[in-house]
Amino acid sequence: MKITARQFAEGLYGSLEERKQGEVNETIKRFAGIIVASGQAGKAEKIIAEFVKIWNRKKGIAVAEIASARKLDRETVKLLDGHIAKLTGAEKIELTEKIDESLLGGAVIRYGDKVADGSLKAKLKNLKEVLVK
Amino acid sequence: MSITKDFIVEELKKQIAGFTASAETKTVGTVTEVGDGIARVSGLSDVMMSEMLEFKVADKAQALGGSGADKIYGVALNLEEDSVGAVILGDFGRIKEGDEVAATRKILEVPVGESVVGRVINPLGEALDGQGRIETDKFYPIEKIAPGVITRQSVTQPVQTGVKAIDAMIPIGRGQRELIIGDRQIGKTAIAIDTIINQKGENMKCIYVAIGQKESKIAGIVKKLEEAGAMEYTTVVLAGASDPASLLYVAPYAGTAMAEYFLDKGEDVLIIYDDLSKHAVAYREISLLLRRPPGREAYPGDVFYLHSRLLERSCRLNKDYGGGSITALPIIETQAGDVSAYIPTNVISITDGQIYLEPDLFYQGNRPAVNAGLSVSRVGSAAQIKAMKKVAGKMRLEAAQYRELAAFAQFGSDLDAETRAKLERGKRLMEIFKQDQYAPLSVALQVMTFYALINGFMDDVPVENIRTFEAGLQKYALADGKEIVEAINKTGALDEAMEGKMKELIVDYKNSL
Repeated sequence: MKITARQFAEGLYGSLEERKQGEVNETIKRFAGIIVASGQAGKAEKIIAEFVKIWNRKKGIAVAEIASARKLDRETVKLLDGHIAKLTGAEKIELTEKIDESLLGGAVIRYGDKVADGSLKAKLKNLKEVLVK
Repeated sequence: MSITKDFIVEELKKQIAGFTASAETKTVGTVTEVGDGIARVSGLSDVMMSEMLEFKVADKAQALGGSGADKIYGVALNLEEDSVGAVILGDFGRIKEGDEVAATRKILEVPVGESVVGRVINPLGEALDGQGRIETDKFYPIEKIAPGVITRQSVTQPVQTGVKAIDAMIPIGRGQRELIIGDRQIGKTAIAIDTIINQKGENMKCIYVAIGQKESKIAGIVKKLEEAGAMEYTTVVLAGASDPASLLYVAPYAGTAMAEYFLDKGEDVLIIYDDLSKHAVAYREISLLLRRPPGREAYPGDVFYLHSRLLERSCRLNKDYGGGSITALPIIETQAGDVSAYIPTNVISITDGQIYLEPDLFYQGNRPAVNAGLSVSRVGSAAQIKAMKKVAGKMRLEAAQYRELAAFAQFGSDLDAETRAKLERGKRLMEIFKQDQYAPLSVALQVMTFYALINGFMDDVPVENIRTFEAGLQKYALADGKEIVEAINKTGALDEAMEGKMKELIVDYKNSL
């Protein structure tokens, strides 16, 4: 049977769960050995991506991105952080910030496969659509 | 011009005021694979089956043109563990890997309403006739569960096709689904178009759904309908031969959604699907591209459901539910007369009867080439007016028997008088059923013609003169027997007094020859 990238990643997570820091290196080394031996080294990228997903899910971490036209101050970021935590129900948010001047104002929040577009650009576009009608 | 600066400013303020807090959350995904009209999308975690998807296209040329074409719509058809398979409704060449796709939380829907009447539109409700966009605020989902048992009523009212052979032998009722089946180039579309033309003044909206047809053919049809004044109550939904398979797949459902608007208003609608074999082929293409397992003739397993759920939406509703109806005339093209192929047998079993057109008859000059033996209407005479029932009661049987007898009589030379009489009558019957294209006939005139035939008034007319005799009789009736024609058209009955009058009229006509 073919083993999918997700199954590999789940296996890796399972075997790492109960380990202490010192043992982790050894486990990873052995895991890499298995992948190479079974000719699945080409899938490494996918396995890593899947592993990150599983890790985040189990540990209650949500990955989010905030794009804004100008750099946001600490206060706002904290507020948004809290907002995302409420939306996703995650315990911890890994936040990346991005500056995108074409947004004009406001911010776009991305988490998982959800997007909340609160940018001035999107609002103007909506307004245009309504007015053109 | 009454538009002032203040007015514009006020309007703007109003509109902008309504736009303060609208940062709604959207579900998005990214395109991982595109090709041949389908796309595979990752993400989109809680997308619904057959939900409309919005592909955002970053095409500069289009965006600058401001035609609003920076979005292409698609429909989610395959929901898998970590990806969604979707068909693209539009130009898939502009979608790239990595493009963003947003869920719309809406099942695919089309504009409906009075404004689609008289128009030529594509399955998404965009105008193709150059008469501006469809102005309506009503939208219906293209997929809908068919009306249930308690809402329905049996078929009682006729749809007059104006084609003698059909109205006499294979009557169609409002709410019925009657299949038109036959080889290519044999007059299937002609029957459908004649039926549309004959609906003038019958309180019937018509929808002609062209699936995979040549655009030149449709242009010709639209022109003919306009000439006959039939576009006033007709909508043409066109998914042409060059449109992607996804549009062909959507077309009949979109047409039905437009019909359902009128059904809900209690009106009668006639819808023609021309043709469902091409629809099945388009669906096969989509299914194979989406990697669904192929079955018989490489069609997917749910090709029966594809047509049954479509045709079940044709119905006659009872009074409590408005009393409207959708009559469907699906068309199927057979290959070399093979009605036992997969799609023809499927659709035959779904519909309430079929009109089978035969090549042999067609090339013998019997047009419309309706085969009386293989054609049936399972709703039958319940949908005929009384007068027609009286004169056409046994006609289908007679026509079918004549053909067998004629084949048999070729071998023997000496026949008894009864058989000879039957053959002579049969010849005239076949002659009567011949009819030109775009020349539908009103019921009253049909009744009169059949009455003259079955009562022996045509027995002494030579077979080759039957059609001139018939045309002359109709002309004479319209000139001198107007009250008879009007009475039959109005009451639909043929009582003894009326019969006497009709007999008199026919005798008068014969004497005038």
